Amino acid sequence: MTEELMQQILKISFYGASLALILIGLYGVLTKKNLIKILLSMAIAESGLNLLFVAIGYIMNGTAPIFSTAVLDENNQLLETVTMVDPIPQALVLTAIVIGLGVTAVGLALVIRLYKHHNTINIDEIRNLKW
Amino acid sequence: MVADPILYVALPLLTAFLLPIIGKINKELIRIVPGLLFAFLVYNSIALFSKVSATHTPIIVEIAGWAPPIGINLVYSSFTGFIATIISVLALLVWAYSYKFKKLEFDNSLKYFVLLMLVTAGSIGVILTGDLFNQFVFLEIVALSSYPLVAFYRGRNGAEASFKYLLVGGFASLSILLGIVLIYSQLGTLNMADIAAHIDEMPRNIKIVSFTLLFLGFAIEAEMFPLNGWAPDTYSQAPGPIGAVFAGMTAKAGIYALIRMIYTIFDFSGAFEILLIMGVITLVVSEGIALRQENLKRMLAYSSLGQMGLLMIAFGINTKTAVIAGMLILFNHAVIKSLLFLSSSFLVYNSKDKLIKDAYGMGKKLPLTAILFGIGAFAIVGLPPFSGFWGKLYLLMASADANLLGLIALILAVSVIEIVYYFRVVNGVYFKKSKTEIEVHKPRWNASLAMIILAAAIIVVGIYPNIIYDYLVNAADTLLDKASYISHVLPNLASN
Repeated sequence: MTEELMQQILKISFYGASLALILIGLYGVLTKKNLIKILLSMAIAESGLNLLFVAIGYIMNGTAPIFSTAVLDENNQLLETVTMVDPIPQALVLTAIVIGLGVTAVGLALVIRLYKHHNTINIDEIRNLKW
Repeated sequence: MVADPILYVALPLLTAFLLPIIGKINKELIRIVPGLLFAFLVYNSIALFSKVSATHTPIIVEIAGWAPPIGINLVYSSFTGFIATIISVLALLVWAYSYKFKKLEFDNSLKYFVLLMLVTAGSIGVILTGDLFNQFVFLEIVALSSYPLVAFYRGRNGAEASFKYLLVGGFASLSILLGIVLIYSQLGTLNMADIAAHIDEMPRNIKIVSFTLLFLGFAIEAEMFPLNGWAPDTYSQAPGPIGAVFAGMTAKAGIYALIRMIYTIFDFSGAFEILLIMGVITLVVSEGIALRQENLKRMLAYSSLGQMGLLMIAFGINTKTAVIAGMLILFNHAVIKSLLFLSSSFLVYNSKDKLIKDAYGMGKKLPLTAILFGIGAFAIVGLPPFSGFWGKLYLLMASADANLLGLIALILAVSVIEIVYYFRVVNGVYFKKSKTEIEVHKPRWNASLAMIILAAAIIVVGIYPNIIYDYLVNAADTLLDKASYISHVLPNLASN
């Protein structure tokens, strides 16, 4: 009973923390005026999302995927197996992290270009196009 | 020669990353190699598409030998193949148009052609893939290669438009990924056919949330109002041919993802009405704003958004005639809008602000370009004998069949608005005298050839619509038949 309760609490805290990160990131994108802070907020929201994905694939007391040992008796019969966490979310998150890195890098390059052009990184002062 | 759907994705990516090395051998090769690649993609499309049309069964490719739903698969059907063919032909024409682009600057033309190949690979990948996460990755390839293309010219406000696009695109990818995560958490699969087969096992509230998130993300890429504030800036700040790329490729990828999601993956019947209503709003608002534009490229961009609205209306009606109309409008939008973007960039080549009045009097200075622009303008408003006429006619027939009489009135009224603002430009080009002296830039033969081919396609399809009609019917049948999509991708599902 207590272990089950513990598991519930852990799961809720995983999901709650990652959702909180996503919301912090979105808040930052909407309120910050500094272009670099906006990009960083986006990166925070992305990492929150990645954490959520990993948390969904997590299985209690599971080991790292693929690397799981089985316990055999002397006749090579399976005695017990070790559960491993779902590997697919981890593989996907790896891809998502790389994409996020690419977007942030391109964004920072654009910020450099904007700074050279306008001499400021305040989003309110860059309005040659209609926002 | 080999023809395989996987080559659509693999070859452009490989060539794009090898191109800097190829450029070390001979500087001229960075212009020639992309052309050979796009020519091969066109050949690939023709070979595969004729095979699919003859057999009426889609070609399914299992990547790395893992059968779906475990592995990633590509689905080349009459529907996806039609769009992939349009995109690869358009890529070849854009290459021909910009062959001499930035002739003197090696670095810039290298970047340009690398990004062009990445956009092509990404857009075709979005359309062919049968895996939801893979589709997200391809959409990100499209987005990541579009940002630098928008900011290509240092002198313009490209970086600003690109940053705006990056913020909105970042939000879109966040929303799409969250939707995918929710689906995966419930069903444990990412294959579209597998999700579609098991979608009724999902709890209704989670299904609604993930639908909304995916719809939001794809609608941003498909330039649906009110999520399209970035689009006019990107169209107007990017180099001329890239406007054609955005209208013909990236927007097509977005609308395809939206259609695939609504038609195949989810089973909400109300989704079609949402698409229809959002399409109507997109159409009316965009055409209304287009009427007030002073800048030629912004006007074309808003008109392009209006066409996306028409496309959403057609796919939102959800009957066979409407889907055929949608495919026709998709074809028209790709061909006509590309012609308009390509020809208009010569009309305002040396003008700084790209204003409509800078194009006044170009009818005498650039007779060929002006005629081609005129053909494009007449075609997009839907005058016979151009291909735009058939798209609108079928859309009106479909709305009449579905008893949407108000919609008919609306589409016709919006066409009048289109006529007003396009004819204002054509009138200015031919009958008004230019007040400012702007140096004229004559198109080279390669650019003229690309534009003439597009214009010829518009006229030929306008006069003999039957040459593509059968393909459109096949494509519409393929899209509407959800059960056969699932059974083709997962042949073992029924026996389990």
